[in-house]
Amino acid sequence: MGTRIFGSGIRRREDPRLITGQAKYTDDMVLPGMVHLAMVRSPHAHARIVNIDTSAAEAMDGVIAVYTGEQVTLNPLPCAWLIPDSDLITPEHPAVAVEKVRYVGDAVALVVAETRYQAEDAADAVRVEYEVLPAVVNPEAATRAGAPQLHDDVPNNIAFRWVASSGDEGVEQAFAEADVVVKERIVQQRLIPTAMEPRSAFAQWNDAAEELTVWYTTQNPHIHRFVLSGVTGVPEHKLRVIAPEVGGGFGSKIPVYADEALTAWVAMQLNRPVKWTETRSENYQVTIHGRDHIEYVELAAKNDGTVTGIRGTVYAGLGGYLSTAGPGVPTILHGLMYSGAYTFPNIRCETIGVMTNTTPVDAYRGAGRPEATFLIERLMDKMAKALNMDPVELRRKNLIPPFENGHDVAIGLTYDSGNYEAALNKALEIVDYDALRREQAEARTKGRYIGIGVSTYSEICGLGPSQVAGAVGFQGGLWESAIIRVSPAGKVQAMIGASPHGQGEETTFAQLISDELGFPVEDIEIVHGDTNQTPMGWGTYGSRTTPVAGAALVLAARKLKEKARAMAAHLLEAAVEDIDYEDGKFFVKGSPDNAKTIQEITLMATVAWDLPEGMDPGMEESQFYDPPNFVYPFGAHIAVVEVDPETGIVKLKRYIAVDDCGPQINPVIVAGQVHGGIVQGIGQALFEGAVYDDNGQLLTGTMMDYTLPRADDFPNFELDHTVTPSPHHPAGIKGVGETGTIASTPTVYNAVIDALQPFGVEQIDMPLTPSRVWQAIQESSSNRGGD
Amino acid sequence: MQLTGSYKFNHEQQAVWDVLMNPDAIAKALPGVDELIPVEGEPDTWRADAKLGIATVRGKYSGIVKLSEQNPPNQYRLTVSGSGQNSIIDGTTLISLSYDADNQQTILNWEADVQISGKLASIGQRLIGAAANMMSKQFFQGLEKQLPKS
Repeated sequence: MGTRIFGSGIRRREDPRLITGQAKYTDDMVLPGMVHLAMVRSPHAHARIVNIDTSAAEAMDGVIAVYTGEQVTLNPLPCAWLIPDSDLITPEHPAVAVEKVRYVGDAVALVVAETRYQAEDAADAVRVEYEVLPAVVNPEAATRAGAPQLHDDVPNNIAFRWVASSGDEGVEQAFAEADVVVKERIVQQRLIPTAMEPRSAFAQWNDAAEELTVWYTTQNPHIHRFVLSGVTGVPEHKLRVIAPEVGGGFGSKIPVYADEALTAWVAMQLNRPVKWTETRSENYQVTIHGRDHIEYVELAAKNDGTVTGIRGTVYAGLGGYLSTAGPGVPTILHGLMYSGAYTFPNIRCETIGVMTNTTPVDAYRGAGRPEATFLIERLMDKMAKALNMDPVELRRKNLIPPFENGHDVAIGLTYDSGNYEAALNKALEIVDYDALRREQAEARTKGRYIGIGVSTYSEICGLGPSQVAGAVGFQGGLWESAIIRVSPAGKVQAMIGASPHGQGEETTFAQLISDELGFPVEDIEIVHGDTNQTPMGWGTYGSRTTPVAGAALVLAARKLKEKARAMAAHLLEAAVEDIDYEDGKFFVKGSPDNAKTIQEITLMATVAWDLPEGMDPGMEESQFYDPPNFVYPFGAHIAVVEVDPETGIVKLKRYIAVDDCGPQINPVIVAGQVHGGIVQGIGQALFEGAVYDDNGQLLTGTMMDYTLPRADDFPNFELDHTVTPSPHHPAGIKGVGETGTIASTPTVYNAVIDALQPFGVEQIDMPLTPSRVWQAIQESSSNRGGD
Repeated sequence: MQLTGSYKFNHEQQAVWDVLMNPDAIAKALPGVDELIPVEGEPDTWRADAKLGIATVRGKYSGIVKLSEQNPPNQYRLTVSGSGQNSIIDGTTLISLSYDADNQQTILNWEADVQISGKLASIGQRLIGAAANMMSKQFFQGLEKQLPKS
């Protein structure tokens, strides 16, 4: 048997078109007669619209139409995560603001013109008179008496209060009886997802057939068809959503926005193709942001280091309107993660979802789970310090022991499998932890400040069982489906409902099929991103494509394999149970020389001259897959930093990531996912942060003002892994798209605080910019470091 | 945002005051502005269009210029409210004159309060201080050019 294709680091087949500029994105679409759409956006964070004068814009060259909110006949945009057991209020979210604007960038009118330039110029000529209202941007301040009110039907700007608890009595008792309690106020700063490709939509309406086609920068074309149908009124069978190449999403291309629906609506009004593409400034102002929590969290423990409870109160900023999954992110995806990789017996999370005069907040890579992991890992380090224990030992003492098939945590989830200490040991071994601590101590005597941060994590992904989706108020299912279709000559097309956009499944899914059926990987094509070509699926997010769509694919391949085996038995005149399979060949046990290849079998099944009794012609199978549980990848990350106390600059010296996502289909692609995740997580720790002024003006509105991490900010990452299969996935696979983001923020943060121990610095709000680090060193009352 | 600055004219205070009150002179001196059109019924108020590049936001702005609280030849208030490029600029400046007899100079001090909204706020806010200083200098230089050589 040759090298197994499963587990082989073959090159990503997506890359040649991407790196040679031949990939086709939505904005590359051109059709005869197309026109361009530009939005008139509010420059105010909170204001009443007094009057809109479109006359000057309408008179300009090339302008075809100008519409205000009152003329737009779309249904309001839905919020699709209606969390249960809460008092959730979903204020109306019109596609175009009519009476009031609620954040800078809220659309108030739209302009259609022959060219993009004409549209933008005319948008600027629309005169809007506003009555400016006071704004509020801080989610905690927004709940206080007297704060500006965004929506009349959302008193005190509180959209919901939600609690997850292992039992309030037990939690109270744990904290009352603890030997030590550590507390922290954590600001999870706002992050801007910054996908390389901004959002874009291109819509074509066929008036005669009453058919709408929308090319769409989407992570989930089937969801967008479903919702767009509701918003536009075009029935689903007459509505086709196509995701061409999508240049990254990180969650920001999950939600339903006004702009894409408006593009479709304008196409229907004018019966001409319409293109809309946001500028980077619009992307920063209008496309969702992530995080934005103010958290009060605490951890209780006994003197021996046994953690007895964790609890937190979270003010989660939701923005001016509830985004599609907005309420679910700081609740279901956050509070249910409070056990982390540990045996915490008492857990409570209370989340207050708050409307503020800011860009709506929704899922950004990790979505709720990085915030949870951060607070757990932050509190663990703080507890270690309070107990005078090594932070590694405190973690080791509280890790969940190894389990292969289910472990119940106090908050109510059942983790699938884990071997946390093995991953931790591996990471410690790579970094040579004891030697590193000695090196750190020695460096301090020479006035050099090295810090070591360690995080052990477990996360929930592979979203998820549809029954759970329903139980937690997600307004959709979370299953996936796949069709594998083999042509007469043995070439394979596999259609999936999920919609990869950078994760490499065109490569890894071909590997899965090749591994199951023996077709060469180059004979297999993965088709995705077009609702007319693919079966239903709920999309690519929550590290779910491989755990869920991949499972559907593997099961479809196994069905085909059984069909091929039956066909081989027929051709070889043997009993089915006597047929063996190896490397794409079927043969009677013990006679591998007289084999039928999968291609020969395919041809015979397709011409169907002589099929076994009861067999349908063709080589095609479809499979739906609804996972029985989430998958729970885990690992241990270690960062080594050095802080220059004179400048506050943090230098990342080493970064070690040991992740366990079960068996890896393609280790190179896994490494790529982990790299990208680490970079985005460290971006939060050290560089990124969306800043609003008190009037709700976004001050970090460009890449000059919002610091994105760059390649030269990082050392080479040292990656390794352990392999603990998921017991319920047909190939044992867990997700890995978000692990890096989930683990790296606290790892680096803890390393910096560790480096600053001699100065007595215990807390700095993220991002840990040189000025903040320097300031913290200066302000620390017990400034014992330096000369 | 609070901004302050000063400018020295090599002219008598009354001459400086006169040019500051002259709409044609103001129009010539204001960066990017061709003319001030009086607003009917509102004294000392003009409408103006300007072509400006502030930070990286370049393009047309239109707005209102208003003189008020005049206390000749010592002090007045200049209020500018403009919009364009999906941005809104609201600024009010208190301008004070004093004469330095030793150096035969009129010293002009200005204290401004500026509110910026929209695209300009997100793109240019941190550059506004520098831009305001540069543009005020251009403005006063432009006025000085229109004074007789001393």
